[in-house]
Amino acid sequence: MGLLSFVLRRLGLAVFVLLGVTIITFALSRSISANPLVAWLGRAASMYPDLAAAYAQKYHLNEPLYVQFYYYLVGLLQGDLGYSVFKGRPVIVAIRETLPFTLQIAFFAILFTLVIGIPLGVVAAKYHRRLADYGIRAFYLAGVSSPAFLLALFLLIVLTYTFRLLPSGGALSPGVPAPKPITGFIIIDSLLEGNLSTFVDALAHLVMPSLALALGVFGYVTRVLRASILEVMRTNYIRTARAKGLDENTIFFKHALRNAMISVVTLASLLTTWLVTGTLFAETIFTYPGVGQYMVQALSSLDYPSILGITLVFAAIIVASNLAADILYAVVDPEIRLK
Amino acid sequence: MKVKNPRTQYVIELLTYNNETKLGFLLVSTIVASAIIIALAGVSILPYDPIEQDVGPSLAGPSLQHLFGTDILGRDVFSRILYATPNDVFVSFVVVGVSLLVGALLGATAGYRGGLLDEALMRCTDIIFAIPALVLAISIAVILGTGVIHMMYALLIIWWPPYARLARGEALRVSHQNFIEAAKASGIGSLRILMRHVLPNILTPMVAYATIDIGSVVIIYAGLSYLGLSIRPPWPEWGAMVSAYQDYLVSAPWLPLFPALVIGIVVVAFSSLGDGLRDAVEAARIG
Repeated sequence: MGLLSFVLRRLGLAVFVLLGVTIITFALSRSISANPLVAWLGRAASMYPDLAAAYAQKYHLNEPLYVQFYYYLVGLLQGDLGYSVFKGRPVIVAIRETLPFTLQIAFFAILFTLVIGIPLGVVAAKYHRRLADYGIRAFYLAGVSSPAFLLALFLLIVLTYTFRLLPSGGALSPGVPAPKPITGFIIIDSLLEGNLSTFVDALAHLVMPSLALALGVFGYVTRVLRASILEVMRTNYIRTARAKGLDENTIFFKHALRNAMISVVTLASLLTTWLVTGTLFAETIFTYPGVGQYMVQALSSLDYPSILGITLVFAAIIVASNLAADILYAVVDPEIRLK
Repeated sequence: MKVKNPRTQYVIELLTYNNETKLGFLLVSTIVASAIIIALAGVSILPYDPIEQDVGPSLAGPSLQHLFGTDILGRDVFSRILYATPNDVFVSFVVVGVSLLVGALLGATAGYRGGLLDEALMRCTDIIFAIPALVLAISIAVILGTGVIHMMYALLIIWWPPYARLARGEALRVSHQNFIEAAKASGIGSLRILMRHVLPNILTPMVAYATIDIGSVVIIYAGLSYLGLSIRPPWPEWGAMVSAYQDYLVSAPWLPLFPALVIGIVVVAFSSLGDGLRDAVEAARIG
């Protein structure tokens, strides 16, 4: 099978999965109560019958379910995720405001994950069954076994309250003006403005939430990379390389490591899922104004349209990153396409 | 240790396979035993009543009288953590147990029969995998309403797909082996083959996965109760305690750290037992 047909098939699957997810969110949105209007509008539903009627009209609530679903889908395609009474604006607008903050954290979390996870995996494999291997194992076991909020609280105690290195929360220090929103990403916008001190301040606020996320997940990278290097070291081409008289370091770094790195791509799905889950806690604890904090706030004010809208956006992010990882994997390892 | 019954012997060999399984088994049995004892004996067995206020000074540090210190209301944190054990253990065992059962039956049938059923099941699991467990559990839990039982329902709805996937893969592997072919050739019905020959042979790897997975349920459950979806105060719950105590991170850092650490230890216990079991199963498979 060629690369193109593989990509098309995976794309089809992604669309199918997303459709399935919309069925779930639609079903949830209609099962909140016998009358969804009460859940969406709260007391306003009974206080303003005109408003309720307009809503029923807009979302076709008086029609059969499959017709409602059709309009729900059409609405989604036009970016209509409903209206958030809590935020006082459409859900899609609230998500668009908060998502850049979460993506900033996610970017640095992935960076930290790789920067911590890969070297540790390499060292663990190189010193297989020696002290370093066991030490690293204990370290990553502690990381992956800890709930996200434990890591966040731990970092707060160490880096903020003990050593006073980093700010305890927020996206910018009080008094630091936010850059004019151009892309929505404050670290990019502050650079575009040429405002270096804002940039540094924003960066300092990013470190702890992303590090908290990375500490919970780098262990998977370390574990998979270690196992994969050890497996590659047992293959015939490594034996051939040894027979040719190459020195161990060249074999390890040039041949084994490069091939073993491919396996890290298979973790993309797990990493994205963890990051999405972790942002709920990291952003709440570090009061970072991203989608995770938005969802937790929506949860406490029972803002259903926001909760379901964010669920949908998270699912879309995961589907997209799985798709990207699968395609990347098929490009670097042609054997995958045949399966 | 030698036992006459071959099944008991097999289980003992699995549990004592390496240091990891031994340590894990020790920790897990301690956790489960204390959960059962506390559930049966109730508050009276704890050092202090978990919801009684002013059993000690407010915000006292860890000491011999109060191992994990006391909170702002003078409640004993150690007793509160112990009291929450049965609940957390119960929820995770039910969620994992039911998922194991449902997943094994669905997955094994799909893997053994193949065809449309298999395709439909796999695509269903694809969809559920696309939504992070915690996020989906939140969406379901807010609609069902808060409370332990509702959260358990929410977790049950989303937790079975990995088991179905695993059971399917294992059933596919088993169904091509000679003893299944022999059973087919001797005219045994599909249902009987499935129940008597396929299921018993896929169970061990699934139990190994389930053991690790109990830790995952504990983490997700703690997360949900951290977000306030579980037990109502004043009754203690690990995740909820972390969230209630994190305001004292500067003045009394042990308050949020102890319940969070307990969650971590429970996860380590189940994952080392499960990891070890998986290694044992794989070693047995390679021979």
